Amino acid sequence: MELLLQQLANGLVIGSTYAVVAIGFALAFTVLRVINFAHPDIFMVGMFAGLVGAAQWPALGFAIAILAGALGACFVGFALERAVIAPLRGRDVLMTLIGTLGVAICLQNGMALIAGPDPVAYPALLPRQFVDIGPVALTLRQILNFGISLCLLILVSLYVRRTAFGRATRAIAERPDVAAAFGVNVARICRLTILLASSMAGIAAVSVGVLYGSASAFVGLLYGLKAFICMLVAGNRYFEGVMVVGLAIGVIEALVTGYLSSSLRDAAAFFVLIGVLYFRPNGLFGSYAA
Amino acid sequence: MTALLQVKALAVSYGVVPAVDGVSLEIKPGELRVILGANGAGKTTIIKTLFGLLRARAGEISFNEEIDLLRLKPHQIHALGVAWVPEGRQLWNTLSVMDNLRLGGFGMKDKALLERRIEGMLERFPRLRERHNQIAGSLSGGEQQMVAIARALISAPRLVLMDEPSLGLAPLMVREVFDLVREINAMGIAILMVEQNARQALKVAHWAYLLETGRIVESGPAAEIASKESVQAVFLGGHA
Repeated sequence: MELLLQQLANGLVIGSTYAVVAIGFALAFTVLRVINFAHPDIFMVGMFAGLVGAAQWPALGFAIAILAGALGACFVGFALERAVIAPLRGRDVLMTLIGTLGVAICLQNGMALIAGPDPVAYPALLPRQFVDIGPVALTLRQILNFGISLCLLILVSLYVRRTAFGRATRAIAERPDVAAAFGVNVARICRLTILLASSMAGIAAVSVGVLYGSASAFVGLLYGLKAFICMLVAGNRYFEGVMVVGLAIGVIEALVTGYLSSSLRDAAAFFVLIGVLYFRPNGLFGSYAA
Repeated sequence: MTALLQVKALAVSYGVVPAVDGVSLEIKPGELRVILGANGAGKTTIIKTLFGLLRARAGEISFNEEIDLLRLKPHQIHALGVAWVPEGRQLWNTLSVMDNLRLGGFGMKDKALLERRIEGMLERFPRLRERHNQIAGSLSGGEQQMVAIARALISAPRLVLMDEPSLGLAPLMVREVFDLVREINAMGIAILMVEQNARQALKVAHWAYLLETGRIVESGPAAEIASKESVQAVFLGGHA
């Protein structure tokens, strides 16, 4: 029982990060019709931007790292949108896919050139401290990671449901032509969406960097893959669906690690993907027609 | 009176296939004109091109005789006072009725005015008030058409482009929609409607165009068009 609760808690912590990255994928895919393969590497750039920020202004600690992570990722997202996504808008989805994949490769190898190919130590911006919640023991870093991710998810949900721009974002996702004809500046909302997705990824990345105490130029791959699976499993109709699946995949992985074997952990998400798509090809919560 | 919207020799093609080939038409403020034509005649293509959603191969489209619509983006065209009731409603099905109406006035700066206009629409369509929190996809076809029309009117447009408003509706609902079209026009809003239901459309319209495979083959006052033998044979013939 204790193991179950502990693994549930561990799963939610990492799942919340999957959910944040997955929302970034889902936003880009539903609103811009782009499979943004550079998104995981924007996450990675955010992680390093946080590291640099914390090193520059050590007195400001975690807060400046988060801010730097958000800004760094946001900047790369902005450049990506301007240079690759906007010029290819309206073209075949494969074109932007290849374009973003190219950017992803450049970002990974560019960062490997700067920071080296091996993981580097992340500054210990938070104390290494355990907190007991009933039978579950979590570190302060885990709790903060979960809290930050959860805040981001709630904010995104409120944004798309309660604000005019958010409603326009969903309107574009479902019917871009009609949205444009009702006065929505589609290009502007698309830009805003990429900036939102990127800065969220940057914040989550700093939090994960602190959690595991390391950063690597290739860290995006793992989170990107899991997040992409989350989006496919959930379907792109409801952003909240993607969030729930993100958390669920995290929990499933933790349970597999706890009860089966940690070597099977990374395979779990793929089994979920195959199982769900076999029975519900449009994802658990449905997808917009292409 | 000057034309509100003027289309000259418009040509649009999908790849090499011409969909609209040299169409000229116009509509004056407060008028109700209809384009009649069968499936595939190019009706929807004309409307989408007017809105900047499709690119014209040749021709001119001017608004108020001075603004070149072909150079504008859809949201800029909407800002001129042009609204759209798309074919098959095309509501945002995952959004609530209220959110659909709010998006109808997305460009409005005055949010209090927007709320008043929405309130006015709910007043006019009590069925929508009952369902204002439901997602639009769960409404009946008739109710969806009302949302689509209300959504178009929220921004107080000068011209409404209606694409087959009666399509797929029950006969009783069809009559209600045409009554509504007349009511909107009586408010002084110009309407350019595209229809297959020629009998009903010719009753409400002032002027009619007949579109066949991308070309206008007849045009004239609706009553005159309705009495033409060729039109009777093609569009009105057979059943009463």
